[in-house]
This record gives sequence, structure tokens and C-alpha cells, in this order.
Amino acid sequence: MGLLVVNTVHRDMTRWHSANAFLGEKSKYALLLVLLVSVFCASFWSAPVQAEDELNCVLCHKFRGLSRIDEEGNFRLFYINENLFMKGPHKRINCMDCHRDIEKIPHDPAKKVNCTTECHLLEPSGKKKFSHKPVAKILEKSVHGRFDEDGKPKEYQEDYPTCKSCHEQPLYRPLSFFKGVSSGVSRRGLGRCKTCHQTGDFAEDFYNHVTSRLQKTRESKEIVEICAKCHEDPAFQKRHGLDNVVASYKDTYHYKAIRFGSDRTADCVDCHIVYGESVHSVESMDSPTSATYKANIAQTCRNAECHHEAGEGIASYRVHVDYNNKEKNPMEYYMLKFFSGLMAAVLYFFIVVIFLELLRRLFPNFSFNSAERSGHAVTKPTTEGGE
Amino acid sequence: MQVYPKINYRGGKRYFFRFSLVQRIQHIVLFTCVITLSLTGFPLRYHDQSWAEPLYNFMGGIDVAPWIHRGMGSVLLGLFVFHTGYWLYLFFKHRVGRLIRDDELTVGNFFKEFFSMEMIPTAQDGRDIVAMFKHLLYFTNKPPQYNRISWKEKFDYFAPYWGIPILGPAGAALWWRDEFTQIFPGWLLNAFYIMHTDEALLAALFIFFVHWYNVHYAPEKFPLGTVFLTGYLSEADMIHEHYAEYTETMKAEGLEHEIKLQGHH
Repeated sequence: MGLLVVNTVHRDMTRWHSANAFLGEKSKYALLLVLLVSVFCASFWSAPVQAEDELNCVLCHKFRGLSRIDEEGNFRLFYINENLFMKGPHKRINCMDCHRDIEKIPHDPAKKVNCTTECHLLEPSGKKKFSHKPVAKILEKSVHGRFDEDGKPKEYQEDYPTCKSCHEQPLYRPLSFFKGVSSGVSRRGLGRCKTCHQTGDFAEDFYNHVTSRLQKTRESKEIVEICAKCHEDPAFQKRHGLDNVVASYKDTYHYKAIRFGSDRTADCVDCHIVYGESVHSVESMDSPTSATYKANIAQTCRNAECHHEAGEGIASYRVHVDYNNKEKNPMEYYMLKFFSGLMAAVLYFFIVVIFLELLRRLFPNFSFNSAERSGHAVTKPTTEGGE
Repeated sequence: MQVYPKINYRGGKRYFFRFSLVQRIQHIVLFTCVITLSLTGFPLRYHDQSWAEPLYNFMGGIDVAPWIHRGMGSVLLGLFVFHTGYWLYLFFKHRVGRLIRDDELTVGNFFKEFFSMEMIPTAQDGRDIVAMFKHLLYFTNKPPQYNRISWKEKFDYFAPYWGIPILGPAGAALWWRDEFTQIFPGWLLNAFYIMHTDEALLAALFIFFVHWYNVHYAPEKFPLGTVFLTGYLSEADMIHEHYAEYTETMKAEGLEHEIKLQGHH
């Protein structure tokens, strides 16, 4: 998740390109603006930003060039931008809380961070140590979990997403970067919190955390791209026996509206997650508790924000149609064939007529009938028409 | 109803009556709807093309364009209903009315009158198509002599008259999808989606290439055939496109001696 720990940014250049594709023109400008503003503000702040950095890790990691080529030949950047880190959700956590295998400084190559590690923060509702374990559990139970019902590892383990498969995408880091630092509904409301919660930045952090969670954080277009990262890959589809659901989704008005900037039509998670549940709980359409289980589809479509007037009939609407698949979508296949055939017949016929007509103008008087050729190319008027 | 002279003179030239004002207005409403519907519809069909987004934004973007599309679609459906009422009115007033007056109203005569309306395809159209191909393939140098409504124009007429009942209700069902699924199964919407977009593509390609070639792009018409505005067709075009009607009209107006020959002028 390492929102600011940008150490893997350059591992894969293609990822950067797809990241750029996520950013619309607007967000690019917003990004530029945020960068400019932070540079501007930073020039006034003489005091360094105070991170929870007891061991002074940034002593080394503040250098922009801190990088190396790892054993797999990937370029790794270990630079940490403190300003950005301080705007991320991990700002109150010690480096060592997550990077637990580091015992001495300078340290050996660190292992990958386990997101389910318990950190020193207390989760306020239960006063337990905070960890991402609950969400990891939801993911594990979902169709994206890497073990089957009997606890056996599923085939093609490397295809199943870990936390970072999605959250390492540039669009997920750092959160405040994309939504603006001033998340929340009212800065004035914060004043009420601060009356009692005076210690440190607690009120501010807590308020921002809660209010930002109440907003839609990602554009639908970005959600589609995240899912497409795996589901659009033909080799991946083949390994798991899946259809190209991204392509078929992109044929729907749902996507087309999103494509042109609407946020009012359904993206992947709107239909594949039971209304009100965590976005990590995607289930197979064969599971009776799934949002896309046959008996639940109508209810999913009828969720308050979408087709709330729809009847049971809506359940038989097919969102993912493969127009080239005769077995799966025979009606759509043959209808498309009919219209393509009709179109070809009509247009080819008229194109031929127009072409011949234009050609005829070049030789207006020519005829294979030699009698006509010698005489004048005129016709006696008749009233019947025809010949 | 206004009576239009069969032949009008402007600047010493003859012009032949073809379309009344009511018909021309219907046509203007028709093409305004079709062009606007195309501009607000096809960017969605071809959303992955580079021109789609700028064009769609020009038409108002995702917040406005769909409403223009639905509005114009409603107007077009209204036009379909109006036009149906229009020809039914003319049919009953003039043809059935005459049968009643002459006390000749039988089922046979009723259908005979129905099938003799000028937009209905006849055996003569088949003969005209054969004559056209004979001419186009150089078996004769006599061009076909079309009557008042040629087979091409009948095709032009029935393209929207079959297209709108396919496109319109399908579009309406997709618009009122929630209410629709209270009565009908949702898979019908899948069918309507194909009907709507594919029939639209056929209509647009036919209109913008074939129809516009016939009335605007063809060398003697380019850049603009004006009959859709004036309702009258020039003598040269009459001879070229409706020679049978031309000679008939000239005779009826007592201008038999001034009939020009259908050569290549």
C-alpha cells in the first residue's frame, strides 16, 4: 500500500503508461496544481514535516536518487517524499511497524510488507490494534481469494490479486493527492470536534478519514481500468475460462456514458457487489449470496441509485453479450447477422448502381446494339414509361 | 387545400410540381430529426473512435446529448404518426370518397385503390429496374423513363417508413427501461439495443451516401438539389428522372409540341 513509499514506481514502465491513461485532462491539471502549490508552500515551511520516524529513516530515504537495480533486473526507487507521505493515511505509522524484518541500519534488502500486520495504532471502536486483516479476510472469501472452499490453493496462484495488485496502482496513492487535501463536508464542522479532541492532529485526521470515506473516491472509468488490468488479458481469460467481460461491458450504455464523463451509470463494482457491502467482496455468479446470482440480479439492478422502478424482468437483461458467440448469445448473434446482411445487401446494390451510373456518363451514347449506335441516341416520348 | 399549378414558370424556365408545402415541412422535420439523432447517437456507438468525444461534447456531452436524442426521437415518432394520419386522410378523402360517391365501394375496389397509391411498388417498377440495368450495362442507350415516383424514390420512402417503427419503439423501451421491465423480460432490451443501433447505421449510411447522391451529389445536382425547398423540379431534371411523367404533364397542359426528347443534353 505504501502510499508514499514510492519504491516500486518505476518497476514497470507500462504501469506508468496505464496510470497516465487513468488521469483525465482535468486530473492532470489538478495534479500539476497540487504539485505547484506544494512546492510553493514548501518554500515557506522551514520546519521539516514531522513524520513518525523514530529511527530517522528519511535521513537516507530523502534522497531522490536513492535507487538500485534489484536481482530480477528491475529498477527500484527508494526515495520517500515526506510531504506527500504526510498527506497519506499511513502518516502516523512508524516505518518499522510495517517493515518488520529491518533490524539494523544500514539494512539488508527488506522483504515485502505484509498488509495484515498489526500496527501500534488502536482501532477506536474496539480498542484493538489496527490491521488490514478484516479486509484481507473479505478478499479471501471473495471470488478473488486464492484458496477454494476446502482451503486448497486454486490453480494459477499468481493470477489472484493481493492488496497491492490494486492498491499499488498510482491512482490509489496517495489518497489525498487525487481528492484534494480538503476532504470532508465542512471545515466548520471540524471546529466542533476540536473542542474536546484537542491532542495532536487526532480530530483533523479522524474527521478527514470519516468524511473522505463518505465520498465516491474513484471515478468509474478508473474502476473499470483497474478490473480490466487483469480481466482484459486474453491469456488470463483463457487460464480461468472467463469471457472478455471488459469488451462486452464496453458495448453497453453503462460504459459509454462513463466513457464520456458521466458518473451516474454502473461500473464493475456497482453490479458485482451486494449493495452496501465492501468492494472487496466480489463473488462468483454461481454463489447464492452473490449480487449477480440469478435470483439476486433484479434486486442488484433495483438498488436505490439505479433502476429502482424496474420489474423482475430486468434480471434477464444480459449485460455481457458476446456478439460473436453463437452458443452463448444466439439471439444477438443471429440478429446481428440479419442486420449486417441487410446492410450489406442494400449498400452494395446501391454502390454498384451509383458506380455504373457515373461510368455511364462517360459513354452516354454507347450501346452494344449497333442499330442504336449509328442513329441518334434519343427516345420517342411515351406516356407509359418503361420501354 | 392549396392547389399547386402543375407547371410553374420562373425566369423563362419550366418547373414541375412535385411536393406540397405540408410534404416539404414533413421532410424538413424528418431530416432535422435524423441528422440530430445521428449526431447524438453515433458517438456512443463509436465511443472508441477519436472523433466521438469531441463531437459528443459539441452536441452537449453526456448530460445534454441524451436528452436531445430522446427529444428528437419523440418528434420523429410524432412525425410518423402524423404522416400515417396524413396519407390515410388523403386516401379516404380522395380515393375512398370517390368510390362512395360513385357507389363503387367494394372490398376489391378498396384494395385496388390502396395499391394504386403512388408510393406502393408496382410491376412497372420491376420493369424500370430491368430497363435501368440494360441502360447501365450498355445493352441500350435509352435511359429508363420513370413515372411520377421512381423505384428509387419508393425505396427512399419506405426506408424511414419501416425504419422508424423499428428504431422508435426500441429507443423508447431503452429510455423507459425500468417501466418496460415491469411488463416485459429484460432480454428484449438486448434485442432492441441491436435493432436500434444497427437499423440506425443502415439508415444513416443509406441516407448520407445513397439518398444524398441521388438528390445532391450527382453531377447535375451538385451541390444541392432544391426540390425539397421549392417543391418544383426543373425541366432538365424532369426529363432526366421522370420522363414518363414529364410527357404526360406536358400533354395534359397542352404543350405537346414543346416536349423535348430524352437524349443526352
